[in-house]
Amino acid sequence: MLRHPPRPMCPHCQSLDYEAVQLSGRGTLYSYALLHHPRHPAFDYPVVAALVDLDEGVRVVSNLVDVEPGEIRIGMPLEVTFEPTAGDGSVPVFRPARDAA
Amino acid sequence: MSGFGGRAAIVGVGATEFSRQAGRTELQLACEAIRDALGDAGLTATDVDGIVSYTVDPVEETELVRSVGFQEIGFSSRVPYGGGGSMGTLLHAAAAIASGAAEVVVAYRAIRARSGATRFGGAKTAASPTSGHSGTTAMQWCMPYGVLTPASWMALNATRYMHTYGVTSADIGRAVVQLRAYAETNPAAWGYRRPMTLEDHQASRWIAEPCIRLFDCCQETDGSVALVITSRERAADLPSQPAFIAVAAGAGLFGQEIASDHYSRDLAVMEGSVALGRRLFDRTGIGRDEIDAAMIYDAFSPILLMQLEGLGFCGLGEAKDFIAAGSLAPGGALPTNTNGGLIGEGYIHGLNLVLEAVRQLRGTAVNQVADPRQILVSASRTGAILTRD
Repeated sequence: MLRHPPRPMCPHCQSLDYEAVQLSGRGTLYSYALLHHPRHPAFDYPVVAALVDLDEGVRVVSNLVDVEPGEIRIGMPLEVTFEPTAGDGSVPVFRPARDAA
Repeated sequence: MSGFGGRAAIVGVGATEFSRQAGRTELQLACEAIRDALGDAGLTATDVDGIVSYTVDPVEETELVRSVGFQEIGFSSRVPYGGGGSMGTLLHAAAAIASGAAEVVVAYRAIRARSGATRFGGAKTAASPTSGHSGTTAMQWCMPYGVLTPASWMALNATRYMHTYGVTSADIGRAVVQLRAYAETNPAAWGYRRPMTLEDHQASRWIAEPCIRLFDCCQETDGSVALVITSRERAADLPSQPAFIAVAAGAGLFGQEIASDHYSRDLAVMEGSVALGRRLFDRTGIGRDEIDAAMIYDAFSPILLMQLEGLGFCGLGEAKDFIAAGSLAPGGALPTNTNGGLIGEGYIHGLNLVLEAVRQLRGTAVNQVADPRQILVSASRTGAILTRD
């Protein structure tokens, strides 16, 4: 049973045990928005915000990359890629799937 | 038990001016609104034995007690869910009175949404605790992606809603035009004497495309609203026309987060409002067609449409047609947010909508509905039905 956002207890069986699992990185676009205002200096605008329904059944907030705003379609197949962030971190973002299954 | 059957009533309302720079603390704003509400109720500070507010309110109860002069507080509580909990103040107050835990309860909200340390609609970049803030830990999963503002959190839901039901920005704009027409004649409103057409709405800049333009956003406002609630018996001895609480309810569902609320299976439906509608109407036998006016939390205009559907005033996807028929306007099927709403009047985090409902029931509203007997107040996951008798 996958859960996101994660919290200390499994809401189905009340177990405190958990493990992180690697997912396929595939999903579909559930919703999106082009964010114009207000702005924060850490980001380029418009921010392309997205909700991605992952194939394994959880939904995540992310960004879309490698896609023009006019080409965004709810339901489009997506695949994960990683973008660097401040420090040495990286975050998962999504681009159109290259071999749409 | 279904509801409170009018055993509790709002007997006093008070407010400060609504502005962009109050120039005084939230504590002082709350004190002023409460003093105003007690005067309206014909009561004094020493009559008060209950206090209710929101978890996000910055005014600490003890500061308030020692400022206003409350002598012995037997009941105090705070409602979660940010602005979604605003109408829950009526539930807590009525429950306290019905149980005997308190006899006279003050509900308040004081806010400096515009001139405070951070603008309420601005970017939030610190991980949020679960209390003292209008959010949950789910917000930290938005922050790396620049999804930092109330408009951005709402937009992800609103785009899905528009996609599912074929709703356009102009469809939403027609609701805003009807609200702003009320604001135009309300001297307390930000939108007083500021007419707005659908063309103006459609020309306003995108905040979050394709669902939220500038004119779809409420006004960040400084100010305070206070309500005084007591029992039907006590109300009978007081000078004002009571607004009885027929039913007050809340619905916090497993699938929901606060603000960054992106994890319910179907985000095109406000499931909290569906559950709230069941508690307000289906459990009490009060008909939706018996509601003479509605005050519906409109921080951003798409959630007005979504609540109309969730609460059952029209079918899913039909709010755009309901609104295009002029239903929210004077003489419409459901005159709504007759003060201009949070969009047109100002954003006291929802509680100014209760103020307007009371004025309507008293017959003293600026945009008075003809002879209203039952008024709905909704903040999507908390709400109440107020009645004149």
